[in-house]
Amino acid sequence: MLQLNASSSRWSAFLLLCLVLCSLLTPVVTVKHENFKTCDQSGFCKRNRAYADTALSTSSWSSPYTLEASSVRLDKGLLTGIVTKKAGDENLRLPLTVSFYESGTARVTIDEEKRRKGEIELRHNSKARKERYNEAEQWAIVGGTVLSKGAATTQGAEKGTTRVAYGPASAFQAVIKHSPFGVDFKRNGETQIKLNGEGLLNVEHWRPKIDKPVPEKKEGEEEKREGEDVTEAETSGVTVDDEGTWWEESFGGNTDSKPRGPEAVALDISFPGYQHVYGLAEHTGPLSLKETRGGDGKYTEPYRMYNSDVFEYEMDSPMTLYGSIPFMQAQKKNSTVGVLWLNAAETWVDITRSSSSANPLSFGIGGTTTTNTHWISESGLLDIFVMLGPKPQDVIGAYSELTGYTQLPQQFAIAYHQCRWNYVTDEDVKDVDRKFDKNKIPYDVIWLDIEYTEGKKYFTWDPMTFADPLGMQKQLDEHERKLVAIIDPHIKNEGNYYVVDELKSKDLAVHNKDDNIYEGWCWPGSSYWIDCFNPAARTWWQFLFRYDRFAGSATNTFIWNDMNEPSVFNGPETTMPKDNLHHARWEHRDLHNLNGLTLINATYTALLARSPAEASHPIRPFVLTRSFFAGSQRLGAVWTGDNQAAWPHLEASIPMLLSMGISGFPFAGADVGGFFGNPSKELLTRWYQAGAFYPFFRGHAHIDTRRREPYLAGEPYTGIITQALRLRYALLPAWYTAFHEAHVRGEPIVRPNWYVHPEDEKGFGLDDQFYVGGTGLLAKPVVREGQMESQEVYLADGERYFGYFDFEGYEGPGMVKVSAGLEEIPLLMRGGHVIPRRDRPRRSSGLMRWDPFTLVVVLGKAGDAEGTLYLDDGESFDYEEGAFIHRKFSYGAATSVLISEDLAATGTGGSKKAKEYLKSMEKVRVEKVIVVNAPAAWNGREEVEVSEEGAGKSGAARKVVMEWFAGEGGKAAWAVVRDPGVAIGRGWRVAFA
Amino acid sequence: MRSVGALLCLEYAATVYAASGEASRPRGVGPECTLKPNANNVEAHIRVLACSRAPFSPLLTNSPPVAKFYKDASTFSCISNPSIILPLSRLNDDYCDCPDGSDEPGTSACSHLSSLSPHTSADHSRTGSNISLALPGFYCKNKGHIPTYVPFTNVNDGICDYTLCCDGSEEWDHVGGVKCEDRCQQIGKEFRKLDEARQKSLGSAGRKRKELVLEAGRLRREVEDRLQSLGAEIEGSEMKVKQLEAELVEVERREKGKVGRGPVQKVGKMGVLVGLAKQRSEELRETLARVREERDASRGRVQELEGVLMTFKEEYNPNFNDEGVKRAVRAWEEYAARDKGPEPDAAHDRDLDAITQSDKDNGLDWAEYESEDGEESEAVVLHSFETFLPLSLRTWLDTNLRTLRTTLIDSGILADTSSTSSSSTSESKAVQAAHSRLDAARQDLANHHKSLASHQEDLASNMGPEDIFRALKGQCIATDSGEYTYEFCFLDKTTQKPKKGGGHTNMGNFVRMETVLVDEDVDEKGRGLGKGDRIAMRFEGGQHCWNGPSRSTLVVLGCAEVGEVWRIMEEEKCVYRMEVGTPAVCDLAGVGGGGGGGRGKEGREGRDEL
Repeated sequence: MLQLNASSSRWSAFLLLCLVLCSLLTPVVTVKHENFKTCDQSGFCKRNRAYADTALSTSSWSSPYTLEASSVRLDKGLLTGIVTKKAGDENLRLPLTVSFYESGTARVTIDEEKRRKGEIELRHNSKARKERYNEAEQWAIVGGTVLSKGAATTQGAEKGTTRVAYGPASAFQAVIKHSPFGVDFKRNGETQIKLNGEGLLNVEHWRPKIDKPVPEKKEGEEEKREGEDVTEAETSGVTVDDEGTWWEESFGGNTDSKPRGPEAVALDISFPGYQHVYGLAEHTGPLSLKETRGGDGKYTEPYRMYNSDVFEYEMDSPMTLYGSIPFMQAQKKNSTVGVLWLNAAETWVDITRSSSSANPLSFGIGGTTTTNTHWISESGLLDIFVMLGPKPQDVIGAYSELTGYTQLPQQFAIAYHQCRWNYVTDEDVKDVDRKFDKNKIPYDVIWLDIEYTEGKKYFTWDPMTFADPLGMQKQLDEHERKLVAIIDPHIKNEGNYYVVDELKSKDLAVHNKDDNIYEGWCWPGSSYWIDCFNPAARTWWQFLFRYDRFAGSATNTFIWNDMNEPSVFNGPETTMPKDNLHHARWEHRDLHNLNGLTLINATYTALLARSPAEASHPIRPFVLTRSFFAGSQRLGAVWTGDNQAAWPHLEASIPMLLSMGISGFPFAGADVGGFFGNPSKELLTRWYQAGAFYPFFRGHAHIDTRRREPYLAGEPYTGIITQALRLRYALLPAWYTAFHEAHVRGEPIVRPNWYVHPEDEKGFGLDDQFYVGGTGLLAKPVVREGQMESQEVYLADGERYFGYFDFEGYEGPGMVKVSAGLEEIPLLMRGGHVIPRRDRPRRSSGLMRWDPFTLVVVLGKAGDAEGTLYLDDGESFDYEEGAFIHRKFSYGAATSVLISEDLAATGTGGSKKAKEYLKSMEKVRVEKVIVVNAPAAWNGREEVEVSEEGAGKSGAARKVVMEWFAGEGGKAAWAVVRDPGVAIGRGWRVAFA
Repeated sequence: MRSVGALLCLEYAATVYAASGEASRPRGVGPECTLKPNANNVEAHIRVLACSRAPFSPLLTNSPPVAKFYKDASTFSCISNPSIILPLSRLNDDYCDCPDGSDEPGTSACSHLSSLSPHTSADHSRTGSNISLALPGFYCKNKGHIPTYVPFTNVNDGICDYTLCCDGSEEWDHVGGVKCEDRCQQIGKEFRKLDEARQKSLGSAGRKRKELVLEAGRLRREVEDRLQSLGAEIEGSEMKVKQLEAELVEVERREKGKVGRGPVQKVGKMGVLVGLAKQRSEELRETLARVREERDASRGRVQELEGVLMTFKEEYNPNFNDEGVKRAVRAWEEYAARDKGPEPDAAHDRDLDAITQSDKDNGLDWAEYESEDGEESEAVVLHSFETFLPLSLRTWLDTNLRTLRTTLIDSGILADTSSTSSSSTSESKAVQAAHSRLDAARQDLANHHKSLASHQEDLASNMGPEDIFRALKGQCIATDSGEYTYEFCFLDKTTQKPKKGGGHTNMGNFVRMETVLVDEDVDEKGRGLGKGDRIAMRFEGGQHCWNGPSRSTLVVLGCAEVGEVWRIMEEEKCVYRMEVGTPAVCDLAGVGGGGGGGRGKEGREGRDEL
C-alpha cells in the first residue's frame, strides 16, 4: 500500500487526463492549431511576407527583376525572353514564357536557368531532382493550350514595354513592362489584372550554403527549434533574407532537410476595380474571400493551401484543409476575370484591398476598390494562367477547358448515399437496405468505411464480419443499389499480405529522403504509401482492382479514396515529410497538393479495367476523394471531410460547396448530419433538407455516434426527411441536366448569386442561397437552430419568383420572406424556366429509368419560359457516341405553344447506340405539364392541342385535357395538362391557345 | 435471396387470407382479368387492363367493401371523393385522377400520393393537404399461392418483386423489356412445404412451451413448499435460539464462580502479559495477511491497468491529434521507462508466508507459557497450599475462597478469567461450546430469514406470462457474431466473449421485463420478431465503455422451437439489442399470437403501402 500511495498522485493525474480526454471527445471541440503551421512558422511564407512588408513600406522600392528587351521573341502565340534578377553583384537568369492560347487564356511562366540546367549542388547527398518542378501541368492541364497564331505585338507601345494583342477579336492585351518586369492584362483597353504591380515578385534563386563560423550552433539550434520559434536570432535584423529558414526547418519534432535550399516563388496579382475575389477552395470562410493582413473582421493569416488531414477543423478560417484549387476569380459589376496559379507545393495567399477615393478628373462614379493578392509557393515554377472573362461562364469555361470538366457521373452517384463508419457486418448492411425499403425511403448507395477490411488491409474482407460480400452486393443489386468500399493509399506493413509484398518487391512506394522505402503510421499502424506518380504503380494499382483479384468486389462496387493528402499520423502536419522522394526523384514538397489527385486518377483507370468483358463496354467509374487539386473534378466526387454535427458546420457547408462549384469541382458535398458527434433531430432534419441540394448527397457518421439512418429519427422527423429525399429523387432529371452542363461547359451545379447575376453588385457577397443548375430553382436551406417561421431570400432581379410547393408569388429585387417551418424547404422557382421532374417515388434511382416526366413550366414576367433536359442511360459511356436525349423546352407567350426541340449536335444521333437508346426510351412519356403563373385567359379552357413528330397518324394533332386553377391570396394561378403523352425523346408541341 | 424473399411474401399472403377469414388455401379470384395492354390502343403508353366486368379486379376477393366501387359499368367515382366521377377510360390509364389514387389500382401513377412525398399546390388541387391512398396496394392474384398487395411504388419499375408478387403481374408493362414469369406454382409449393414445417415446428414449440409452463409451475410449487417449510423451520430456530440463550446465561453464571482448576486459568501480571502478547501477535498476523491480500489485489490492478495503457498506447489514433491523448501516452511512456521499484521477491514472500503461519508452527507455543505461568499464579499457589489441608477444611476454604474471588472479581480487584469480555481463548470450554451453539442457531435463523425473503421476492417477481421464465432462469443461449460470441442468460445477464480469447465483457445484468413494439422481418424458417408487441428483457449496468455509458442490452423475444439468438446489434455505442427465439413466448396453442414469429395478423400489416 505504501508503494502504491507514493504513485497514487500520478494515477490520479492520469485519471484526470482521461477525464479531460473524454470531455475533448464531445462535439464541442476545435482544431489543434499547434499541429499546423502559421505563416510565421513556415519559413518561405514568413520571408515573403517580410519581403512584401519591406517593399510596400519603402517608397523607393524597385523590384529587382528586369526583362531583357533584346531577348523578347513572339512566335506563333508564344513569347519568350529572359528576366534577370539582380542579387548583389549577380544577375540571375530566369527564362520567361508568355503563352497566348486560342481560348483567350494567357499564361506566364518563369523558371530558373541554373536549376533547369542542373548547375546546382544538393546538400546531404540528396538524390532529389535539381530542376524546379515542372510536371504539375501533366496532371492538372488537359486541354485549351493550343497557341493562338493571331496573337501579335502591337505597334506604338510605350518605350520599355511589349504589347501583345490576343484573344477573341483581339480584345485582350498583355502589356509587358520590361523594368521592373510586370504584366498588365487589359480587356477593351481597361486593365483587369496586374502582375508584379506592387513589386512583390520573388524567385528565390539557388545559392550555395555558406557556413558561418558560429561554433556549436547546430546543436543548440535544434533544441531551440523544438519550441515554437523557428527563427534564428540574427544579430543584424535588417536583412530581408532571413537565412534561418533557408537550409533546414523543424516543426512539431520533424526536421525538413531542404537539400535545395530556399526556392520559393512569389508574385503579387492585383485586380483593379474589383472588390470581390472568390476561390482558393477549400476553406471554411465566406465565399467572398476576406482580407488576410489583420483588421476588424479580417484574418491575420494568409489563405493556406497545403492539403492536410485537419482534425476537427474550425469555422471561418484561412487554415488549409484537405484539398486545394489555386484558382481565383475576381468580380465587379458585369465583369469576371480569373487566375490559376499552377503550383502544387505549399502555397499561401495574402489578400488586401485598397480604395482610391473619387478622382474628380475621372469620369467614374466615386472611388474604386482594388483587390491585391500576394501568392507564395515554396518551390516549383512560377506559372500562372490569366482569364479575362468578361462573363463568369467565360472564366469557368476557360478554366475547365484547361483543367478538365467534371466527370459526368453515373445517375446513382447523384442520388442519395448512406454511409457510416461503420456498417459492422454484411448482415448489418442487408438489414439497413431492407429497412430503407420497409420505410419507403429511397437510397442508391451504401458505404463501407475501413472496418470491413481484415485488419485494415485493403483489398481484403474481414472474414468474421463480412463473410459473404458477394451475397450482400447481390441483395443490393436486386434494387439496382451500389456499394462503395474504402481503399486508402497507405498499405499495411505486415507479413503475408500480397499487396504490401508486391508494393515492396516492385518498388512502387514513396521513398524517404535517403531514397529508401518510406514508412509511416496510419490506420493499419506501420504502413507504406503507393506512389501514384509512378506509371508502374498505376498499372499495378489497376491490377489490384480486378474482380478476380479483389475477391468479393462486384460490378456494383465502387471506391472511396480517403486519407490521400496523404494523411500520415506521425508525419509533420499529419502528412509526409517534404523531403520524401517520389517517382523521378521529385521531392514531396514539389507535388504535395497533387498527391490526392494522382491516387484517384489511378483508381479511376483501375475501375475501367476490372474485367476484360467490361472493358469492351465500360461503365463510368465512381470514386470519392478527400484530397484534391485543380483537375480532380475529371475523376470523381469530393466531400468536405470530417465535419461536425453542429449548426455552424451545416451553415458553412453551403459557402464551401458554392466555392467548390465556382472552382471547377462542383461534384461536392458535406457529410449530412455531421461526422463527429450526434446531431439533434432538428439539426439532422435540416441537414437532410440542405443535403438534398448538395451535388454530392451523402449521410455519414463517426463510429462513436449513435445510429442515425433516416428511419430511426421517428416522427415527424423521419417523414420530413423522407420528403426531402424524395424531392431530390423527383428532381434528379434537373440535377442530371445540371451535371451535364458542368460536364460540357464547366458550369457550377449549385450556383451562387453573383454567378447567375453578375450585374447585381448587392448579391456579390451572398453565399447562403443558390440556384440549382440552370433550372431557375433558388434554394436557401435553413441552417440555424430554432428557425421555424420564415427565411429571408434575396431576389437579385425584377423577375417573378414562385414558391416551389405553394406557388406563392414573390417579386424582386430585394429580400422576401419565405415560409420555413420544420417541414418546409425555402425553395423558389424563378419565372421563365422549365423544370423537368419524375414524380413517382421508387426504391432507387435506377428503378425510375422508365418513369414518365412531369414538366413544370414557370412563366415569368414576360410570359415566356425555357428549360433543358439531358438524359442518357446513366451508367455507360454510350453518350459519347450520341446515345442520349437532350431537349430544349420553350414556351412563348406570343405563340402560347410549348415546344420540345432537339439540342443534340447534328450528326451525333446517327450511331447505332444512339438509335438503340432512343428506341429504348420510346415509351417514356411526359405524363403531366404544370404551368405555374398560367394566364388568367386560360380560365375556362379545357383542352390543349398536342402534336408529336414521328410517322403516320401519331403525328396528327389531338386534344388533351387541361385544367386551370386560380391562385388564392398571393399564389399564382396554375394549369395542369393531363397526360399529353408525348415521348420525352421526341419533338412535340403543346398549343395552349 | 430470391427464394427467401419469395417465401416471406407467401407468409404475408397467408395473413391476408387469415384476415379475410378464409382457409389457408387460395381460392378462385373472381372475374378473370388480363393484365395486358389493350392491343388496339394507339398510344403505347396508355394501358387499359381489359377485364370482363370491371377494368381491373383488384379487390373482388378480399375486400368486398372496396370492390363494389369498380362494378359500375359506365363511370367510376373516386372512392374517397365520390363527387369526382370519371369515365371508365380513365381507370388504370397510368394517370392519377383521383385524389385518393383509386382510379389507378393497377399502375404506379398515384404512388406519390403519400405523406412521404413532397407535394405542390398542383397535387393539392382537389385534395387539400390530406393526401392518402384509398387502396392498400397493387393486387397480386398469385394463383397457386396466396394473393397479396404490392406497394404501388413497385409497379412497373422493371424489377420482379417475387417476394410479394410471385405471379410477376406487377411488371405487366414489361418496362425496359423485363419479363417476370409466373412462379407461383413453385413458390406456392415451397411455401406450403415450409409452412408445413413451420406449423410442425410451431406445434412442437407449443408443446415445449407447455412443458416449460409445467416446469415453471413445478418450480414455483417448490418455492412455495420451501416457503412453507421455511416458516416452520424459522419457528423452530427461534425457539432454539431462545433456549440456547438461556443455556448460555446459565453456563456463564456457573463458570464465573468456578475457581479455575482448568489449564486455562491465567491471573497475575505475567498471565495478562502473555494473554496480551498472544492477542497482539494474532492481531498483527491477521493484519499482515490482510495487507498482503490487499497488496496482491493492488498489484493485480496495477498490472491490469498497465495492460490497459499498453493497449491504449498501441491502439490510440494519433490522427485525432488530441493533445490530451498524446500527453497521456507520453506520460505512460515515461512511467513505463522508469525504474518500477523492487519486483515481487519470492524469498520475501516466503518470509511472509512463514510469518503468517500460526505461532505454534513457528515454534512458539503460547500454551506452554500459559501453563508455566499457571504454576506461578496465585491461584495455583493457593491450590497447592490447599492440598496440605484436611478435606473438610479444604471444602470450607474452597467455598469461601470462591465467594471471595467472586467478590474480588465483582469489585474489579481480580481479573475475570472466565467472563465473555475476555478473549475467547480464555473462556472455558463449556462457555465456548454454549456460545458456538447459540451462534450456529442464530446463523441458522438469519439464513432462514434471508431465504424466506429471497423466495418471497422470487415469487413476487415478474417472470413472464404464466411465470414461464422461471423454467429458464439462468439458462444461456449463445451465438457467434463477428469476432465475438454473445451470450444471453434468461433473467440473469448478457455477455460478450471475444473468440480470440481475452476477458469476457458483461453487457448488462437483468433489471426488468418489458414489452416492446417491433416491426421486423421473419425469414422463411419463421425466424424473426415480426410485428407487434413482444416480451423483452432489459439488462443494464454492464461493463463501462471507454468514452461511453455502461453497457446495456435489450433482449427481445420471439417464438421459436428452440432457443437461439437471431440477431445482435449495437444500436449505438455500447447499447445492444438482441433478438432471441424461444418457445417460451409462443402462444400456448402453438400458432401465432403475441409470441411473435410473425405468424400473427400483426406480422403482416407493415407490408402494405397504405
